[in-house]
Amino acid sequence: MTQIKYLILASRQGKIRLVKWYTLYSLKEKQKVLKEVTPLVLSRKAKMCNIVEYCDHRVVYRRYASLYFICGITPDVDNELLTLEVIHRYVETMDSYFGNVCELDIIFNFSKAYDILNEILMCDGSIAESSKKEVLQYVMTMDTIESHDNLDRVLS
Amino acid sequence: MAGSSLRSFIKDVRGAKTVAEERAIVTKASAKIRTKLRDDHLPLEKRRNNIQKLLYLYILGEKTHFGQVECINLIASDDFADKRLGYLAAMLLLDESQDLLTLLTNLLNNDLNHPNRFVVSLALTTLGFLSSSELARDLYPDVESILNTSKDPFLVKKALQCVAKLVMTDSSLLEIFQPQLLLSLLNNQSICTHGVLLSIAKVLQAALSGFSMHHKRVKENEPTADTTGILRQLLGAVPELLDLLQNLNVKNFEPEYDIQGTCDPFLQCELLYTLRLFFQVCFEFKITEIDQYSNKFNDLLTQIATNTDSGKNCGQAILYEATRTIFSLNLNQPSRVLGINILAQFLSGKDNNTKYVALSTLLKVVPQEPVAVQRHRKFISRCLRDPDVSIRSRALELAFAILNDVTMVELTEQLVEFLKNASDDDKNLIVYTVEYLVRAFEIHTSVDEKWKLETLITVLKLVGNVISAETVSNLLVFINNASCPQERCELVAEMLKLTLDDSKRSEISEHNVGWNLVTIWCVGEYGGEILGNKADAKISERSLTKYLVDQHAASDRNDNKIVHYLLTAALKLSAHVNDPGCNESLRQILVSRSRDADLMLQSKSVQYEIIFRQPLKVKKPILDSMPKFEKKIDAATQKPSKIASQSSASQPESSDLLDLLGEKQPSHSPQPQPSVAQSSTSVLSPTDLLADIFGSNGTNGKPSSDKDLSERNSSTLEVPAGSTKIHESAAAECYITLKSCGDGAAQMELYLKAKTNLQNVQTFCAVPKTQKLTLGQIQPGNTLVSHQVARQNLKVVGSGRLKLRVKLNFAADGNDSSEQFDHKFDQAL
Repeated sequence: MTQIKYLILASRQGKIRLVKWYTLYSLKEKQKVLKEVTPLVLSRKAKMCNIVEYCDHRVVYRRYASLYFICGITPDVDNELLTLEVIHRYVETMDSYFGNVCELDIIFNFSKAYDILNEILMCDGSIAESSKKEVLQYVMTMDTIESHDNLDRVLS
Repeated sequence: MAGSSLRSFIKDVRGAKTVAEERAIVTKASAKIRTKLRDDHLPLEKRRNNIQKLLYLYILGEKTHFGQVECINLIASDDFADKRLGYLAAMLLLDESQDLLTLLTNLLNNDLNHPNRFVVSLALTTLGFLSSSELARDLYPDVESILNTSKDPFLVKKALQCVAKLVMTDSSLLEIFQPQLLLSLLNNQSICTHGVLLSIAKVLQAALSGFSMHHKRVKENEPTADTTGILRQLLGAVPELLDLLQNLNVKNFEPEYDIQGTCDPFLQCELLYTLRLFFQVCFEFKITEIDQYSNKFNDLLTQIATNTDSGKNCGQAILYEATRTIFSLNLNQPSRVLGINILAQFLSGKDNNTKYVALSTLLKVVPQEPVAVQRHRKFISRCLRDPDVSIRSRALELAFAILNDVTMVELTEQLVEFLKNASDDDKNLIVYTVEYLVRAFEIHTSVDEKWKLETLITVLKLVGNVISAETVSNLLVFINNASCPQERCELVAEMLKLTLDDSKRSEISEHNVGWNLVTIWCVGEYGGEILGNKADAKISERSLTKYLVDQHAASDRNDNKIVHYLLTAALKLSAHVNDPGCNESLRQILVSRSRDADLMLQSKSVQYEIIFRQPLKVKKPILDSMPKFEKKIDAATQKPSKIASQSSASQPESSDLLDLLGEKQPSHSPQPQPSVAQSSTSVLSPTDLLADIFGSNGTNGKPSSDKDLSERNSSTLEVPAGSTKIHESAAAECYITLKSCGDGAAQMELYLKAKTNLQNVQTFCAVPKTQKLTLGQIQPGNTLVSHQVARQNLKVVGSGRLKLRVKLNFAADGNDSSEQFDHKFDQAL
């Protein structure tokens, strides 16, 4: 089962592109995690396994092109292999949404990236929907409602 | 710039050439957003724009607190776009701990009853993220009514997720929670999409884990209350879950949920975990109704193990989950063996991630199924050679966990092989390996000792330059305690041959400090015996003496450790050497340090020289070979612990005592150690002279030598008048008396007055870096009855202000506890 503590998207240079917390961390703790986990993951060589121990928990990450997807998880509860699948599902979904997603898409449309994430993962960091089709359908419908609103405003 | 769009703002930030330039842009934008948001007449569109920029600042790690109220304003708007952004921002910028959440209650309440399903879904998601216990109680009925009335899978899914979180937040909600509702949803095929099923599993998990907590709390208040009713009702879901899982596992192809030929691994894993929780909680509360399903569950796990495709990551994820289920429920032996075999299959594969999880799971289940794990040592040893360091370290831990009398020889060979191939990056792992190998050799006594000694020498040859001084000490203890002196002698002779023979010299690096230390010590300790044996022409009085002289000449000025060893070896060897020339060379080594800047070395040199001058008759017994060294094996350290990861920033708690004062030398607990309990001032004590080779290099741990201790012992101790109270707790009071102070030395007495019965009292003290501390024994002993007083002498030498940090460890009423406190004296040294 999956119950992710946090998700961080970081570039190869260590810049944070997206961050989402699923457990209550104080501001200080958040800063500490961001400052320490990203370099830890970036320092791993390509052939190494995608699981690292950090403080009291484990970190599962996967690199897609120039972007690292990093998840903090609870050992013994979380399934590391399934976490990798969750990350992959998120990437796939964004890929369908943006069409060949790249780092720039996420930088400029971070709120869309968050919208998609909120449909895939529920509030405690576990998977909420295993159908990619459903996720896309709902995100896109909401986008349409939004643009209708805009249209109405312009017309009125 | 703040008026411009989000896109150009991001472009500006990214376009910054230097960090300073980027900072300037960000600070300026942040200030502008702050002013804009304060303006009440700002149109909504502009507000949205500003919040979007604020979210970008959030990702950059900037302060965003000033935007929190603004999120709530956006949520209050009728516009869907505003609401959507407002909720998104609220989920990111606010968290459960903020007072601001009360402002949300009404808005959420309205939106939960909104005609637009997407508005309702946004409100549900946000409530899940921001569920303080107040919000949970206030809004639970609204969420439940959605569940009761809605036929929309999307909304039901969202509402269930929300319920799961609310129940987690406030487990007393379980009292009004309707298990029936959940069961009827589960039976309603038309609404059960995989998303809904995942959410049902989540609610069940939340209810089950919340139940234990809630049950305990209710029991405390009303001892007779039976809260297991809900649990019994929830049990109705088990057959349905079992069927679902079975169907999913055999399903062939369903395009929407298929991942590389496996049907929805996410749902399969969640269902497995939920069932596991069911069994665990029912077992905890002795609800036997669950037993009727255990056979079916067992069969299902076997089916999953055989049916699931183990070639792909998602199949492996399910197998892994199934294995963990087997071991956490400790199912029957065939299942456990099945589980181990799955993990072994992971190990034999190519994928690093599965290898990693297999190794760390095997490590956990060794106690449950030791034999089955051992059967796969071939794969485990193979992982010792893996290019990935994380895998290597897990494999090492596991290798030590399965090491016993039977597997020792085979595994040790693999470990030595590992050491041979280890690179400099593996320093941590090497130190770990040697440390635990020595320890394992001590514990498992039935294995041939000669082989063990030979192995240790091989290890030393390979990695002697990396291992710590402490491990060298342990190794020497092991050599010293060898049961057959003859074998030991032969072995040491072999070592010496290697060291002394110039043609073989190249085998051992000059920088192999560990090897040098051990050889030097052996020359001193066994030189006499070996010379007596005349084992090899190469080993003679001259060659041994020359070796020590050479080593002394080559010794690094900054490394006193080796000089300490050399002095002792020279002195010991001198008792067995007849050649006057050699004797003089050895004396030269001894006297060369009589003016050394290092006080310890200097005194040692002078003292040794005195012994050296004694007639042989006196000298021989003093310099006799060491007695067996009894080592206390700490039960806690017998089990291999985890290899400290290089990145781990946290240090164990116990070390901060000394860290804070910058004093790294260990001050031992004052229990007398059998073979070193001799006076530290007596020059003529052979064991004490050598004690520091075995123990630490400081004097901190030496028991004090007060002659009148025994007399004082007999009378009951009282805290003398004029003592300063420095600590008081529920268990004990602590006083200190300064007996004398001046000329760089201070004497004090620490009094401990027990308030209850205390066992295993230990004191750890630390002083600033500029000072050295000698701790006496606790008098009368480490077990105190209530109101009894114990005393301990402390001697401090050095300079600077007197400061003391004390840590008390003791067991009161069977519970171990520790207390720590500081005391500053007015006096200075």
